[in-house]
Amino acid sequence: MDALLHIVPDRFPQYDYFALNGNIDAQAEKQLKELPAKVKQPKVTIDFSKTGRINSMGIALLLRCFKAIREEKKANIELVGLTPMNTMLFKMTGIFLLATPAKV
Amino acid sequence: MQLNDPILALFADADDENTWYSSLSMIPEVIRIIANRFLLVTLDNMRGLGINPRLAIVSGALYPTMMPELIKELKNNFPRMEILVLSSTVAPFPQIERLLTDKVRHLVIEPISQNAALYRNQSPLLLAVNNLVNKQKWEIAEYVKDGTQIHVFQLSSSNEKEQVIGTIESMVRGETAEHELLRQKGALLADEMLENAFYGAPKGADGNKIFRKGEQRSLLPGEKIVFRFAFDGETLAMEMADNWGSLAPDMIMEYLARNQNSIGLPDDIGGRGLFIIWRFLDQFHVNITPGNQTVVGGHLRVSSPFPPEAPRGFHITTTEKEKNQWMHYYTSFLTVFHNTITSR
Repeated sequence: MDALLHIVPDRFPQYDYFALNGNIDAQAEKQLKELPAKVKQPKVTIDFSKTGRINSMGIALLLRCFKAIREEKKANIELVGLTPMNTMLFKMTGIFLLATPAKV
Repeated sequence: MQLNDPILALFADADDENTWYSSLSMIPEVIRIIANRFLLVTLDNMRGLGINPRLAIVSGALYPTMMPELIKELKNNFPRMEILVLSSTVAPFPQIERLLTDKVRHLVIEPISQNAALYRNQSPLLLAVNNLVNKQKWEIAEYVKDGTQIHVFQLSSSNEKEQVIGTIESMVRGETAEHELLRQKGALLADEMLENAFYGAPKGADGNKIFRKGEQRSLLPGEKIVFRFAFDGETLAMEMADNWGSLAPDMIMEYLARNQNSIGLPDDIGGRGLFIIWRFLDQFHVNITPGNQTVVGGHLRVSSPFPPEAPRGFHITTTEKEKNQWMHYYTSFLTVFHNTITSR
């Protein structure tokens, strides 16, 4: 898995889709800052199935990014491909207050 | 151990005492007290009799909710006594702000379950009592089986972080989902500990951080970052030491409390890295020699007795060492030197 974050977009009729491939840390700042501007629909799906490590700086960047999507784009965010580790981390840091894990 | 410096154990009621009976049965010289309206008189009488307990184990069922002023009273009576709050994995999380206010530096969360006996020989309570009574620091060798190799990395550049993380991932062998989770947790913990050492610890004379997260950096002359870990097939223990000593116990407690209670609020909230370290470890320790060294570490297990949502314990200790005047001037020089070259 590539360590640097690559955001791979896709668009479906009902929602925007972004796969976050790679680690989410301080190196991911630019990519995550640019993400909200790419949101065009009121529903966004973020795919973590190819995400590597997410550290505390990555959590800060995700919180900032998700807040911008919700406040500026008025879009709802759904998270897919979460590992048990991501789920624990997101629960304890408040990510799930901004984005909802998809029902399996 | 002398009779005049026993260990006090304070409980909310008889049921509470019974809960901890087996855990405490392995500790000698324990005076068990059920808190009632005579508690303050009892403490006063003990002091009058020349009994000076070295340690008080305070049940989380008693403090802080039931007797919020208890720690103040204990400190008034026995100012030199260490205080340890004891709670269980199934109890509500102790109010961390109260622990911050009362400067409680030791919280032990002991597993209470049918298989808790399996961990009795690695009981966090027994280890804590031993360390506090004997005035020893927490060290990772105590968490793993005797003879387990301790891997030591003395780092010279932030580029080496991924190599350390890769080594941990390769040493934690096992194909189960639990092993995979342990590898991921180990990688994250090492990442956070090293990020703290490289970017959180170095502070200038003005108290501001010298380096920005994400920038590649080499160590300054005289600067030292040492990472250690050990894995015995069940327990992964790790710790990071830097020679800045720029953390303070109150600051750590404030970070833990702030992140515990401000979930989802500001995205740039400070201390999130330490908070993550604390919540992912089964037990977390920090030792600070102000201006000289910070050690952050702990351990976690493949089959953790802690459910993911359960509270975690901590030990925050300080080692007093008179700050070397030479080191003070040297640190100031390094700060000026760094600021000069980065402002060009």
